[in-house]
Amino acid sequence: MNKSRRLKDGILNGLTWLSTAVAVAVLLLVFIFMFRRGWSDLSWDLITTDYWPQNLNVAFRQGEAGAYTAPADLAAGDSFSTLYGFALRDATDTKKAKTLIITYVDPDSPLESAYITTAGSQQGLNQAIHEDASVQMLYYQDEDGQQVLAGLLAGDDAASLVQKLDTGSVSIQSMYYQTAGGGIRGSILATLLLIGLTLVIVLPIGILAAVYLNEVAGRNRLTALLRQAIETLNGVPSIIFGLSGVVMLFPVTQLFGASGQSILLGALTMAVILLPVVIRQTEEALIVVPQSLRMGSLALGATRSQTIFKVVLPNALPGILTATLLSVSRVIGESAALIYTMSTVVTDNPKILQPATSLAVQIWQIMSSEQPDFKLASAVSLIILMMVLLLNLTVKLITRRLSRRWA
Amino acid sequence: MNLLADKKIKRSQEPMASAATPDLDPGSQTAEAADRYMSRGSGPVARARTQVAAGLKPAAGLPDLKPMFEVQDLNLYYSKFQALKHINLTIPAHQVTAFIGPSGCGKSTLLRCFNRMNDLLEEVRIDGRILMDGRDLRGPQTDVVELRTKVGMVFQQPNPFPMSIFDNVAYGLRCQGIKDRVYLRQVVETSLKKAALYDEVKDELDKNATKLSGGQQQRLCIARAIALQPQVILMDEPTSALDPIATLKIEELMNDLKKEYTIVIVTHSMQQAARISDKTAFFLLGEVVEFDDTVTMFNNPSDKRTEDYISGRFG
Ligand SMILES: Nc1ncnc2c1ncn2[C@@H]1O[C@H](COP(=O)(O)OP(=O)(O)OP(=O)(O)O)[C@@H](O)[C@H]1O
Ligand SMILES: [Mg+2]
Repeated sequence: MNKSRRLKDGILNGLTWLSTAVAVAVLLLVFIFMFRRGWSDLSWDLITTDYWPQNLNVAFRQGEAGAYTAPADLAAGDSFSTLYGFALRDATDTKKAKTLIITYVDPDSPLESAYITTAGSQQGLNQAIHEDASVQMLYYQDEDGQQVLAGLLAGDDAASLVQKLDTGSVSIQSMYYQTAGGGIRGSILATLLLIGLTLVIVLPIGILAAVYLNEVAGRNRLTALLRQAIETLNGVPSIIFGLSGVVMLFPVTQLFGASGQSILLGALTMAVILLPVVIRQTEEALIVVPQSLRMGSLALGATRSQTIFKVVLPNALPGILTATLLSVSRVIGESAALIYTMSTVVTDNPKILQPATSLAVQIWQIMSSEQPDFKLASAVSLIILMMVLLLNLTVKLITRRLSRRWA
Repeated sequence: MNLLADKKIKRSQEPMASAATPDLDPGSQTAEAADRYMSRGSGPVARARTQVAAGLKPAAGLPDLKPMFEVQDLNLYYSKFQALKHINLTIPAHQVTAFIGPSGCGKSTLLRCFNRMNDLLEEVRIDGRILMDGRDLRGPQTDVVELRTKVGMVFQQPNPFPMSIFDNVAYGLRCQGIKDRVYLRQVVETSLKKAALYDEVKDELDKNATKLSGGQQQRLCIARAIALQPQVILMDEPTSALDPIATLKIEELMNDLKKEYTIVIVTHSMQQAARISDKTAFFLLGEVVEFDDTVTMFNNPSDKRTEDYISGRFG
C-alpha cells in the first residue's frame, strides 16, 4: 500500500469515526440536558395528581393533637407543628397573592385522615392533604371546647398559625384548602386513551389491507398503483392530516355524539396518518414469510383464508409488532395534528368524546403559555421518553419470545 | 408404455403373484433382474439393480391395480411456453410411480396437476383431462380444497410450520373444523407412527417442529399429509435435501405406505427410482417418452433416449 492510499484510507476512516462520535454526542447531550432540567420536577405526584387546582373543604377523622418531631431536613423558614405533624411556609402564588403552603406532612399526621365535606359526588371520600397544598383557613378546638378560626382569613402567617395550634388547641376540626395542581395525570390518561383508540382503528384496517395487497390481489397494475398511493401518503406532513381531519373526520365523530374536538377525532386522524406505515410494515413482514409455508398449508387442504390466518399472519407477527411499536411512538410524539383535533385544553378526566391534550401537546401548551415552565416541560418530556423506552423494551421482549418459540 | 399393454402385463402377473407366497415373489423378480444386470456391466443403473436384487424392490402384482389417475392428452402452458405436451398415462392405485427425467422436463409440473397446485400460479393454461376415480379433476364438481385433502403433497424442501409437532400434524384436520382433542391426539399419534417418526418425538410433541433435523422434518411433513387419510401422496424430490441415512428411512417408509396409499414420486436418483418404484415414467422436454414397469424400464428400455438417460449418457 503506498502512502497516498494509506492517507486516503486514514482520512475516510477518521471521517466515519468523527460522524459517529458527533451523532452519539448530540444524542447524549439532549438526554443529559433533559434529565438535568426535568429530573427535579419529576415526581410521583406529578404523574398522579390533577392539573387544575381544586378548592376543597375537608374534615378530619382523627383530628386530635399528638406529638410529632420535625424532619431533620426541614427548611429554615418553615414552621413545624409538633401537635399535628406538618410544616408550613409563607409563599406567594402566581397572582402574587399571599399563601400558606404545606411543605411537609408526617405519615401519621391528622392531615392524612382528611375527608371531603364539600357537597357533591366526592363528599365523604378520603382526601389526604399533601405537600404543596395551600391552606386558606382552618377551624380548631381550643381547650375550652370553642371552635376557633385560623389561617389567611384570620390574618395568620405560617409562624402565627403554627403558634396558635401548638399552644391552645386540642384537635383540628376542618380545613379549607387548595390542592397543588399542575399534575399530568389527565394528560397521561388521555395519551393512553388516544393510543388505544388509534391502534384499535388502524391495526385491523392496516393489517387487512396489507394482507389484501400481498396475499389476495395479484401483482398487477392496480395494486402497484395502490401501493404507490400509499407510499405517497407516507410523506405528507401530519399537520395537513390534522387540518383535513377537522373537516372530514369530524362528521364521523359526530355520529358517535361528539360536539367538537375530541380524543376520538384525534385517534381517527392519527389512524389516517399511520395507515400507510402499518400497511407498509405489515407488507414487509408478509413478504418474508416463506412461500413454501403457504404451499404447505394449501396442499393440506387449507383454504386461502385459513392459510393467511393460521400460517402467514402468525409468522409475520414480529413485523406486525414493529408496526405497532412505530405507531405508538408516532402517537406519543405527535403534536401538530392533535392541536386541531384534540385541543390544547388540559383535562383531568379525559373522555373519548371530549377534548383533551396528549402529553406532547401539553408540552407545547406549557411552552406557549405566558409563563413557559421549561422545567415542567422537561419533566413531561422525560416521561414521554420513558414511555417510549418501556414500549421498545416490551416489544423487543415479545418479539424475542415469539422468535424463540418459532426459531 | 401404452396403457392397455401395461394393464395386460399386470393382469397376467396377478395370478402368479397370488399363487406364490408374497415373500417369495419379490425374490424371484429381483433375482431375475440381478441376473440380467450382471450380464450388462456396471454404472449407476447397475448399482440400482443391485439394490433391486437386495430385496428392497416391493412386491409386484399387488391385488389392487385399479387406476388412480388417468391423464388424457394433457397440455399445460406457462403463458406461451408449453411445459407439458400430450401427456397420456395411468397412475395405478397402491403402487409407487416414479417420474424421472432431466431438469426442466415438466415432472413437477405434472405432479402439481394432481392436486391442482398449478391453480395458484398465474398465467397457467391447461387442456386435456385428468380423471380421478373416473371424475374429471378440473371439472366443476371437483372441490379443490377437498381434492387436496385426498391428494397430499410432500415438497422437496421440508416445510414444517413453525409450530409444535402436534399442531403440524393436526393442522389439516383442524382446518376441516375438527376440534376434538382426544380424536386429534389419536390421529396425530397414528400418523407419526406410520411416518416412522413417533418413537423419536413421542416425548416432545410440544417441541417446535423447526427444531427437528431435516430428515425428521420431512417425515413430519409426510405424517402431516397422512393425517388427512389421503388416497394419494405426491412427493417432489422428497429426499434431495437429505443425507443418505435419512433418505433410506424415507424410502423404507414409502415401501410401507404404498399398502395404504398411492404414491407418485419425482426423483433425480435412478437408484431411488429403481429401489422404490413399481412404475416409472421417463420425461423429456415436456413429453412422456416411456412409461412402464420399473423393472422393465431399467432392464430393457424400449426407447433409445430412455436407455441413454438411465445409463447416465445425458441429463
Ligand atoms: N411458474 C412457472 N412459470 C413459468 N414457467 C415455469 C414455471 N414453473 C416451471 N416452469 C417451466 O416449466 C418447465 C418444467 O418445469 P418443472 O418444474 O416441471 O420441471 P422439473 O422436471 O420438475 O425440473 P426439476 O427436475 O429441475 O425440478 C421448465 O422449463 C420451467 O422453466
Ligand atoms: Mg421439479
